[in-house]
This record gives sequence, C-alpha cells and structure tokens, in this order.
Amino acid sequence: MIAILRLLVVALVLLTLVYFVTATYLRSTHREKLEKQWDADPPAGQGETERRVFIDAGMKSYERGLGMKLLWLVYILPLIAFGLIIYTIN
Amino acid sequence: MSGYLYWIIPAVLICGGWLYLHYRYPAGSRGRTRIRWSIRGLGLLSAFLFLNYTMPSHDIVRITGTDSRLTTIGWSNWLFYASPDSGTAESTSARQIRLIYAAFPDGKSYVYRNEDTGWIWPPYFKYDSSDLQAEASNFVSTSENPKWVMVTHYGWRQAVLSIYPNAVRMVPVAGPDAKPFPWLNIVILVVLALILLMIRRVWLQFRERSVDPMVADASEVLDGIDAQADAARANVRGVIGRIGAWLNTWRKKP
Repeated sequence: MIAILRLLVVALVLLTLVYFVTATYLRSTHREKLEKQWDADPPAGQGETERRVFIDAGMKSYERGLGMKLLWLVYILPLIAFGLIIYTIN
Repeated sequence: MSGYLYWIIPAVLICGGWLYLHYRYPAGSRGRTRIRWSIRGLGLLSAFLFLNYTMPSHDIVRITGTDSRLTTIGWSNWLFYASPDSGTAESTSARQIRLIYAAFPDGKSYVYRNEDTGWIWPPYFKYDSSDLQAEASNFVSTSENPKWVMVTHYGWRQAVLSIYPNAVRMVPVAGPDAKPFPWLNIVILVVLALILLMIRRVWLQFRERSVDPMVADASEVLDGIDAQADAARANVRGVIGRIGAWLNTWRKKP
C-alpha cells in the first residue's frame, strides 16, 4: 500500500516536471513564431511597442487555445497506460 | 557508514583514469577520438542491453513443471530480482522464489522465475504471481501429449549469476509454430524514439532562446568588465605613481 502511494507521488512529481517543461517549450515556439511573423512583414510606421503588443495578444490567445488544453494529456496518457498495463498483466 | 567509504575507491579510480586520459591524449589527438567513440559505443551498448533486458519477449514453450526454491540473493544478482518491498519478496537476503520449468519445441529446457515486480521498475505492475503459478501448473504437459503456451517474459537466463527471466503472462497457442508479431515492442520503441526526439527539440529550443542570448549578454558584460578593469588598472597605476612620487620627496637628496 505504501509502495503504490510512493509510486503515485513520484509519478506526480515527474509528470509535473514534464508538464512545465513541455508548456515552456510550446510557449517558446509560439512566441518565436509570432516574432518571426511580425519581423517578416512589419506594418509600416510601427515600432517596438506595437510589436510587443502584437506578441502579447498572440500569446494570450494561445494560452486559452487548444494546445494548452491538450497539454493535460501529459498527465492523462501515462495514467491510461498504467491502467492498461495493470489490467492486461493481472 | 564505513561501507560508503569503499565507494571512494571506484571514485578515485574513475577520476584518476579520466585525468590520465585527459592529459595523455590531448584534444584533437587520435587517441582522444578513439576514446570518444569507445564511450559512445559503450553508451549505445548499455542502452541496447538495458532495453533487451526490460522489453517483453515471447517464447513458445511447453510447461514441464513448477516449483519453488529458497534462494539466496547476493551482491552479484540482487539487481535481477524483485525489490524487497514487492508483494512476493519480503527479505533482501533469502526468499522463496517460484520457478516455472519449460521446454522449447526443439527439446531444450528453460527456467523462468515468477515474481511480483516492484512498483516502479520494471514497469510491469505484476501482482498475480500466485495466479500465474496456478496457470502454469494447469498447463503442465508431457512430450507425448504437449500443450503449447506462449510465455511473455522479460530478463535473461544466466546460469553463472543464477538469474532467471521473470514470466509475466501465459496464453495457450495452437501449436509450436505460432509466431507472435511483436506489436507491443514496436509501439514501445516508437514511443521511446518520439520522446528522445522531443527531448532533443526542447533542448535545442531552450539553447536557442535562453542559453545563447544569455551567453551573448554575458560576453558583453565581460567585455564591459574588461574595459572597467583596464581603466581601474590605469587608475591604480596613477595612484601608486603618485604615492611613489610622494615617498620620493622624503628621500635624501644627493
């Protein structure tokens, strides 16, 4: 009984680490994409402030988007795999 | 406590060996390249052995008997037995271990152990060794009237270390020629490869977006420090020069 609790705690810590690393990675790629999108075709007469506003808006909508919701799969998929293994082995 | 002191010996050997090789074969020498490739080869080899040990594999066998045996687990083979806190293993030194005897279609014999796995590694989450032992006893057959079963197992049989592969699952099959296709292994390897690729991409992105700008900043700061240091040195020289001049005023004039 203690062993399964230990496993759950270890899994929770590791998966949380994976969750945050993946979230940071996804945000970073999206920010890079927004920056490149702005820099490829910067609207005339707009400077650093508008660029920052554009990127912040894009990041805000990304935070609410599907990608960040799908990130919960980081927790869900290993738990499903765990359940499947226990079910098929025993 | 004193047991930990023995770890100093391998630590000293590894550090000493590393230092020796580091200075014996300087960067760019042929020896350095060879050492680098040997280390890469060793890494690949250990990854292969690790997967080979842990991944499930299937045997078509005939069960010839079941048994359990009081087994002493020592320093040489503890790694290949269940950890002491899993269901069927209460003690680290000696425990009753269930064995399953089997024969391959070509007549060669084989032995599996049947132990619960621990909770973390290897991740088979097997707690039903008693049930598996019952199934195995039920499948026992003679060579005149064979019942063939497919045993899923992981691990190696190594007589010298007295280690046995752990049987995980057992299903009856039609005949000795049944060829199970390793779907599961393919899925596991693909998932592992995807995870490795993902780690690589995350690392590259991290380096591009966080490390490289930081290094650029740091080298700017360092350049700044250099300039400041030059200025400070000049300043100090000026101060010391002035002190020296002041001291000189106390010298006796010839």
